[in-house]
Amino acid sequence: MNWKNVLRLISVDIKAGRLIRGQRLRRYRESRVFQYLLYGGACLIGLAIGIGIAIFCTVVPDPQLKTLLYQSTRDLFVSFPTLVLIFSVVFTMMGQIQRMGVRASLQPPYWLPITWKEHTLASTLANLIGVPLAALILLSSVIATVSIFLGETPIAVFTIFALLASAFLASTTTEIFRVLQVRFVGAVYKSTGKAAVWVRFVGSLLFLVVFYIVWFAFTSGASSVALIEAVAGAQQAVWFVPYVWLGMSLAAFMSGLLVQTMLFLLASLLFILALFYVAAKLNAKFGLYEPPAITVSRGIYAPKVGFLGKLGFSSLEAAVIRKDFKAFTRRRELMYVFIMPLVFILMPLMQYFGVYGRPVQPEGSRFLFALMLLIPGAMMAAMMGLMIIGEEGEPVWHFFSSPVTARSLVKCKYALIIIFSCVATLVCGVVGILIARPSLDIAVALLAESMLLIFALGAVSLGAGITGADFTEVPRPRMVRPLTAFVYMFLCMVLASVIFFPLLLHALTTGYIPTPIPVPLPKIDLYIAVSISAVMALITTFVFYKIALKNAEEFLIKAEI
Amino acid sequence: MIPSVESALKLRGVSKRYEDIVAVDNIDLDVEHGEIFGLLGPNGSGKTTTLKIILGLVKPDSGSVNVLGIEATNDPIAVKKQVGYVPESPRLYEFLTGLEYLDFIGDIYGVALSEKKTRIKEYLEALELEGREGDMISSYSEGMKQKIALISAFLHKPKLLLLDEPLSGLDPRSARIVKDLLRKLTSQGVTTIMSTHILEIAQAMCDRLAIMYEGRLLALGNMEELRQKARLPGSDLEDIFLKLTGTEDVREVVEALLK
Repeated sequence: MNWKNVLRLISVDIKAGRLIRGQRLRRYRESRVFQYLLYGGACLIGLAIGIGIAIFCTVVPDPQLKTLLYQSTRDLFVSFPTLVLIFSVVFTMMGQIQRMGVRASLQPPYWLPITWKEHTLASTLANLIGVPLAALILLSSVIATVSIFLGETPIAVFTIFALLASAFLASTTTEIFRVLQVRFVGAVYKSTGKAAVWVRFVGSLLFLVVFYIVWFAFTSGASSVALIEAVAGAQQAVWFVPYVWLGMSLAAFMSGLLVQTMLFLLASLLFILALFYVAAKLNAKFGLYEPPAITVSRGIYAPKVGFLGKLGFSSLEAAVIRKDFKAFTRRRELMYVFIMPLVFILMPLMQYFGVYGRPVQPEGSRFLFALMLLIPGAMMAAMMGLMIIGEEGEPVWHFFSSPVTARSLVKCKYALIIIFSCVATLVCGVVGILIARPSLDIAVALLAESMLLIFALGAVSLGAGITGADFTEVPRPRMVRPLTAFVYMFLCMVLASVIFFPLLLHALTTGYIPTPIPVPLPKIDLYIAVSISAVMALITTFVFYKIALKNAEEFLIKAEI
Repeated sequence: MIPSVESALKLRGVSKRYEDIVAVDNIDLDVEHGEIFGLLGPNGSGKTTTLKIILGLVKPDSGSVNVLGIEATNDPIAVKKQVGYVPESPRLYEFLTGLEYLDFIGDIYGVALSEKKTRIKEYLEALELEGREGDMISSYSEGMKQKIALISAFLHKPKLLLLDEPLSGLDPRSARIVKDLLRKLTSQGVTTIMSTHILEIAQAMCDRLAIMYEGRLLALGNMEELRQKARLPGSDLEDIFLKLTGTEDVREVVEALLK
């Protein structure tokens, strides 16, 4: 193994971030300070947290409490390797999911004298760069600081080593998953023929929805605490699973069982080596990605008489809408738009049926219904608006070179946002009505409110999506500049709250949503509340649609990419 | 088609600068209707930028651009309607099939339904893409993508074709078809401005040529005029190009590399 090659490949992966950060490309100079800021920051925060915990443990006067804290810290240390493993798997998988569909990022430089082992090692380590590595540094800093204060330095050294090994184990697992996914997905598409597009759409949605539900279940509030408790307790019970051997080894070390420590440690290292060997072999066999030739149609060309034409769209506008519809159903990186609404339906549903604990109460189900009807559509409109121009990627030159006017561009893009978001709202609404069985008044009012939010937020985010569009596609399509996305998502939240406020007041004053203290306001009629909301939403839509038009004019004039 | 008295393209004092690099330096250029005009020059000489300025993809820092009698800055949409463009390395919508892509392009340019259908069929047959038109573009080879890009430029019967390396990646048969097609279109009054590095093709196809270097027009004219300018009577375009761009000392370079 040529280690220099591995380091060079990792550095290429790090540098790929330059393009998506929108740096100036001529006479490029990288600030080392900025590059290591994330890791340095994580280290400093870790040290601060560690000192805080250590001081707290030291100053506690009660000896019993002190012993309890000491014991808890040790228990937590034991569960760290498995926890880091789980979170590293999730994060590295997230990284891979975001890169799915981007051929260039998957394609190793196979024509260079680089072995598959070198490539696999570099890819595995590069997967950890970013949030996983920062989290590792933060955790290690906490552990090191606390241990020094508690006089447990050997345990700290062992724990940090176990954390690093766990992260590597997780990343190797992700690497295997990535290669198998490329192979498996390619085979499925080839065998499904014409249905491949829909197989891909449904398959990707299912996979991503399940992934995110698991992720939210792990990370949301009480679930994460439950996870830590479960890992600490369950590790011993599943000692035969190789993924917990690092944690077992650490537990044995803490108990002074040196033979067990060595056995589990050795077994862990052998397991990591075996996994790495498998990953390298799989990469050698299936690593070169060839996009499967998906045949969507055969035979005679039969142009359709556009339904969109009947709705008042020109042939140009209808063509762009049709093209974008295909983009959102065929490109995996765009399917995120559908995932969030789906997760927003499934999470409350699972809560409702008590999957995460106790089922919700009747008043809770009202809140749940409001949530299901309002959030998915509005969220979809905001997300789509931000990405619908940037999703064009490098083929955006078609818009600059063809006779597309700003008015047409905004009209067709806005129409697609509204169509998709309204469909999402209707689907969510039907599910919500079936579960919560609200009164007709409430159902209609919330449906109207949801539509108003879609129109308003769609216009706001489309204007932002035009000015903040980012067309770089490698290593992954960014679509919108992060700062623009952050600022406008915040603005969307503020505007949504303002528009929804009259209805919220109605809900609070009429007791639809119970409050511990009665709201000292007269009851607001439902229809008055919706009317006030409608006026605010329409003003917002009008103003931001105009802004979007102006932005589109500038966008088409400043066509340089 | 009856060519108007005005030139198909008129550039006056056009300049474009990217920070400290002058991409196009005060260019004056006239291209007549029904002419095949070649833009030649080493890498980074400003050919692609010039083509983009003509189409309105790049806004010049100074100068005027008149395309088919229309001031490009005043009415860019009117210009774009009459132009067919193939970029240097065309990035197409890879999630569409070839057919869907051409259908999209036809609709963008407002080609009538029956006409669109006939033209797409004819072009797909001519460039041997039949049978693959229903596959997603992501599975096409570079040559096939280039063919699709060329068809999309021809589809709406433009009056001006702007082609950046049009024959790149094409198989010999398809390249021949495209060349013959361009000549036929010329006889119908269609103007073609193409940039290429393949000097044999430029010499064989173009009525007039411009050699660009560091953003400037070094020479402009037909083959005979270029020979006179380079003082190389009877020589071919390669010798003229190397002499005018000051890069004729290739032998020394090769020898130095072989040391």
